[in-house]
Amino acid sequence: MVAAVSKRVLGDQTASHNNHFNSTASKKRKLDGAGPSQNQKHTKLSQAKSSFEEDLGRLTQEISDLKGVNAETDQKWARPSMDDWKPNEIDLVFQQIDTEEGYWSGKACVRLFGVTETGHSVLLHVTNFHHYLYVQAPVGFTQSDLPRYGDFLEHRIAAGGGSIIAGTELLMRENLYGFQGNIQSPYIKITVTDPKHIPKVRRFIEEGDSNFDGMWNGVSGGIMTFDNIQYIMRFMVDTKMSGMSWVEVKKDKYTYVKPGLNSGRLGSAQIEAFCHYRDLITHQAEGEWSKMAPLRVMSFDIECAGRKGIFPDPKIDPVIQIASVVTRYGDKQPFIRNVFCLDTCALIAGCQICEFSKEGQMLRAWTKYLQEVDPDVIIGYNIANFDFPYLLDRARTLRVDDFPFWTRLNGIESEARGTTFSSKQMGNRESKTTNTNGRIQLDLLQLVQRDYHLRSYTLNSVSAHFLNEQKEDVHHTMITELFNGTPESRRRLAIYCLKDAYLPQRLMDKLMCLINYTEMARVTGVPFNFLLARGQQVKFLSQLFRKAGEQRLVVPNREQRGGGGEEEQYEGATVIEPTRGFYKEPVATLDFASLYPSIMMAHNLCYTTLTKQEHMDKMGMKLDEDYHITPTGDVFVNTSVRKGLLVTIFEDLLGARKRAKNDLKNETDPFKKAVLNGRQLALKISANSVYGLTGATNGKLPCLAIASSCTSYGRQMIEATKAEVEKRYTIANGYTHDAQVIYGDTDSVMVKFGPKDLKTVMDMGEEAAAYVSSKFISPIKLEFEKVYFPYLLINKKRYAGLYWTNPIKHDKMDSKGIETVRRDNCRLVQTVIETVLKKILIDQDEDGAQAYVKDMISDLLQNKIDMSNLVITKALSKEEYAAKQAHVELAERMKKRDAGSAPTLGDRVAYVIVKGAGGAKNYEKSEDPIYVLEHNVPIDTKYYLEQQLAKPLHRIFEPILGAKKADQLLTGDHTRTISVAAPTMGGLMKFAKKTQTCMGCKTPLTRKDEEGGAVCHSCQPRSAELYQKTLSKVSDLEVRFGRLWTQCQRCQESLHCEVICSSRDCPIFYMRMKAKKEVEEMGKELKRFDYGLSAW
Amino acid sequence: MLEARLEQAQILKKVVEAIKDLVQDCNFDCNDAGIQLQAMDNSHVALVSMKLGSEGFSPYRCDRNIALGINLNSLMKVLRAAANDDLLTLKAEDQPDSLNLLFESSSQDRLSEYDIKLMDIDQEHLGIPETEYAATITLPSAEFQRICRDLSALSESVSIEATKDGVKFECSGDIGNGSVTLRPHTNVEDDDKSTKIELTEPVNLTFSLKYLVNFCKASSLSATVKLCLSNEVPLLVEYQMGVGYLRFYLAPKIGDEE
Repeated sequence: MVAAVSKRVLGDQTASHNNHFNSTASKKRKLDGAGPSQNQKHTKLSQAKSSFEEDLGRLTQEISDLKGVNAETDQKWARPSMDDWKPNEIDLVFQQIDTEEGYWSGKACVRLFGVTETGHSVLLHVTNFHHYLYVQAPVGFTQSDLPRYGDFLEHRIAAGGGSIIAGTELLMRENLYGFQGNIQSPYIKITVTDPKHIPKVRRFIEEGDSNFDGMWNGVSGGIMTFDNIQYIMRFMVDTKMSGMSWVEVKKDKYTYVKPGLNSGRLGSAQIEAFCHYRDLITHQAEGEWSKMAPLRVMSFDIECAGRKGIFPDPKIDPVIQIASVVTRYGDKQPFIRNVFCLDTCALIAGCQICEFSKEGQMLRAWTKYLQEVDPDVIIGYNIANFDFPYLLDRARTLRVDDFPFWTRLNGIESEARGTTFSSKQMGNRESKTTNTNGRIQLDLLQLVQRDYHLRSYTLNSVSAHFLNEQKEDVHHTMITELFNGTPESRRRLAIYCLKDAYLPQRLMDKLMCLINYTEMARVTGVPFNFLLARGQQVKFLSQLFRKAGEQRLVVPNREQRGGGGEEEQYEGATVIEPTRGFYKEPVATLDFASLYPSIMMAHNLCYTTLTKQEHMDKMGMKLDEDYHITPTGDVFVNTSVRKGLLVTIFEDLLGARKRAKNDLKNETDPFKKAVLNGRQLALKISANSVYGLTGATNGKLPCLAIASSCTSYGRQMIEATKAEVEKRYTIANGYTHDAQVIYGDTDSVMVKFGPKDLKTVMDMGEEAAAYVSSKFISPIKLEFEKVYFPYLLINKKRYAGLYWTNPIKHDKMDSKGIETVRRDNCRLVQTVIETVLKKILIDQDEDGAQAYVKDMISDLLQNKIDMSNLVITKALSKEEYAAKQAHVELAERMKKRDAGSAPTLGDRVAYVIVKGAGGAKNYEKSEDPIYVLEHNVPIDTKYYLEQQLAKPLHRIFEPILGAKKADQLLTGDHTRTISVAAPTMGGLMKFAKKTQTCMGCKTPLTRKDEEGGAVCHSCQPRSAELYQKTLSKVSDLEVRFGRLWTQCQRCQESLHCEVICSSRDCPIFYMRMKAKKEVEEMGKELKRFDYGLSAW
Repeated sequence: MLEARLEQAQILKKVVEAIKDLVQDCNFDCNDAGIQLQAMDNSHVALVSMKLGSEGFSPYRCDRNIALGINLNSLMKVLRAAANDDLLTLKAEDQPDSLNLLFESSSQDRLSEYDIKLMDIDQEHLGIPETEYAATITLPSAEFQRICRDLSALSESVSIEATKDGVKFECSGDIGNGSVTLRPHTNVEDDDKSTKIELTEPVNLTFSLKYLVNFCKASSLSATVKLCLSNEVPLLVEYQMGVGYLRFYLAPKIGDEE
């Protein structure tokens, strides 16, 4: 029986490996079909080519095929020449990618970096734009007071240090916050000569020292200023320029700065010019202007030769290789691929190798290369926190002074600085930033961490997740060995390094981050680099200021509260108490489309419409006709009186989204499609973030009245929907069943209409959505989107179901709040839960699901579950935890064992729970999986069963089987076969001697003549059978190990080298380690029969 | 077929009570010589070895070797149902699924019968080789229990130093330190109350008190306890039961190891 079980497990796994093999094999075939690569370079290879190398080789060929079409040729570093570009004969049109404050002939200006359609790089200085702020003019302040007021400010603030105030103006404006009765009042606009003076002026005014002529006497404390916004944002708002958009200066309006040493050029761009800001034409990203310039994207990776056991330190350990690939935006393949390496390196097809004997030389050459290639976007994996700072520190150590010049400004060094980024969405993150003025950086690690929730964030597992590719992971101590070897082994390292450089590029293409972020920048109007470096708020403010400007509104500068302050709470969304159970009939889901935005639109909720009852009474407004009161008691005027600013923003956003979606439908070009899709996503996200910002009390512009009104309307609507549906769809009204709302949350309700037929339910859902929508104010719309059938409702925010949008085939299995997605449990839980759900929902086989769970539990107790399934990973995020935690304790212990390989701050620690002394705490029982494998430490299977599996399984099976039967899953007969492993370490193990047990009946062989043999006397007759069994087990294990080994070799893409990968994210790695051990042990078992034979 | 009748249920009861905190699941190996148990605790610092010789049962019958995989917590639940002087009969098939326990109360003509489901425990069989010990100390088990209990209030570990003059238990902890020294002496009236030391060379070893306290739960099995020590060899704590023994081995603490 036991053998049969293990056989099956083995069989399953082999089958899955076969799949792997097939996929690689088919890939191979395709490559063969592409014909032999015709490399110009002569390569002498002692190793068979890996598929990545073949890829590389193929690239050269494909790109040479594309010649003529492409403006750039393969491996040519420089940008297209400037020969046919004549200054002031053509309009200067380019896509600006980076914007920063700067100075031009001593005056503040805005620098725009960008690329023209022909691929030339541009630096444009936009001059004469002054920063300003507003102050509400006091009663009696007239035009004639302005010059004196200006002088007053100048006098009081400047204190002799040059002029500060550039001018004052009296303008009619309206305060954004609160309904002002549609009346504009006079505001003083104070313009300063240099943006850096703004904070000084603001502080001076706000701190209440500026009571000019006693005009502000009525105001206690400080005077409120308006429009607190960064200079760059002010510029972008006023010129209507959004991030990553196209700008234009007519040919006679700009002044070209000639190249040459003393001509006054500030940057390294091919075209440098300056112009007045009024001459800058900004194009909205629509139609023709939604295109992208041929941006050069460089992806790179470095390798350093660390010492054994110590993480590389830039003060000591050299950088030995830098690989980079450069791709033009829109091309599928990189046109530059090279590796800068120390020492000699065998050639790689389709890749330039630049060899250097000195490290300093190499670094210097690399900067030269970077300057020549002049990339617009620099990407990589963890470049912000590792590669950039490491290179900089290394160069400093080696005193390569001309190294850190990666910016597009002459003489501006790149420096790594530590920053902390904290936002509600992302939490606190410490990171380093390196300035590369004029070049955008995208660190794929940060991006993936921000946008996706994954189990692990190593390049390895991220590419396994998104590209379905395992990558070999060479431990950093291994790198030094390869480096100290031969040109061939360095070549191997170079390929590895090159692959690490190429993967971020592929990830970026796959995730379309550049496009999506570009569209986000365009939609929200902020510079590209703000998206990564800042939170949600700046995006919203950018939109708000843009709209406010149109309506002549000014935004009050509210004092920001510290981040630590308690947030005021208000009642959140409602949840209809779930009627738990397993529904075998279709359950329709009705969703409110963009719930909060549509509520705000329907009820005209906005800063500009918020008012008070007294004001309304005073103005003689009538309830309902002119204003309304929300369920929370807040008063807002109606659209007829004033349309809210937020409402306009939403209308624009949603309108634009609709347009983008429409265009998307009609578009055929995949690139434009990607752009449009990115745009509609960006629009959706920014529309939905508005609500959150009105509720964030420590934000810049909180307005709880809006936020709480929104949720209260939302609650009402959910209740109303439930009532309407349950009132209408009843047997009394001629329907076959009484409809029942079984669950509802925030913006959706789940309705069980009753009929078993999918089609009928879908039609009813459609009808119900339309019917209920008609009861609400437009644009609130209830949409019927999907049907869950069957549907397992476990609890609030926990459910699973099969997702249908058409009656023919289900779309996917959907689950919320169930342990399939969480990371703080082991893979076993995930697999078991997933399979169980699949069996229950898709196969509708409840018995099968139970049988499966029992099998898995019994495997677990017998130690047959692969270790990779039991590994739990957790990030080691800070040194001091209040409570002891498993992973922190383990990291400590590992540090004692071997300081080098121990995880450091920020790493994810992988651990398993092992058996400990009675009463030992969990954190004492965590152990490094590798250590466990090596020393055969027994796994605490009970922990996994009781702490990890029990709860989720119970939750799932309870609605199906009932509480009692669900419990039996965990305690039934299948839990009675266990295995207790004996470790090779532990206090007593040094002394204990293993007594062999009989292979037939497990009794200890203690008698002299049996000792060392395989079977006891009573089992002697079975010895042939048992030998056969053991032999077949050995060969099974050998085959399995062989397969795993080849699998790893395929992954490292060379079948002739030893496997050196030690990726702890890869399930195969643990399997391989375990298989190796098992083969060795089984071999020993087999030898025991020899004794028996010789004894006879 | 196994059939073994024990005069007093309390023997098994006390054994299980004494070891159930160290071992949760283990095999009872039954053969014609008797019933044996050998298991390590989870952290592999201590080993329990128990033997109930066939002569301790009447009758005793065991046709072939049987390994009974038992969860000791479950067994304890059943044994609690037995009175101390009940007759206890263990029965199992040759390929058993369950173990049958029969309690007979001699005074009350009461018969109770229980079945425990057995487990299939795949366990490696480990033993500690017999060694010549440098020091063998025999002392009243109550005395040993008291020393362990008193010292465990102060510290996690105790050093046991045996010389020809006596044996010294010493510990030091955060709140202070303490020691107990026993000199060999002979109690003429009751030999069980004597302390005897046989020594070939002096030894000094350190052990975890947590485990020793645990071992002392077996004190009720025997009036005396035997401690056997040699340098760099596990400590052997033996309780004689007349019909067999209950032995505990404990690895010494080395250096600063926790």
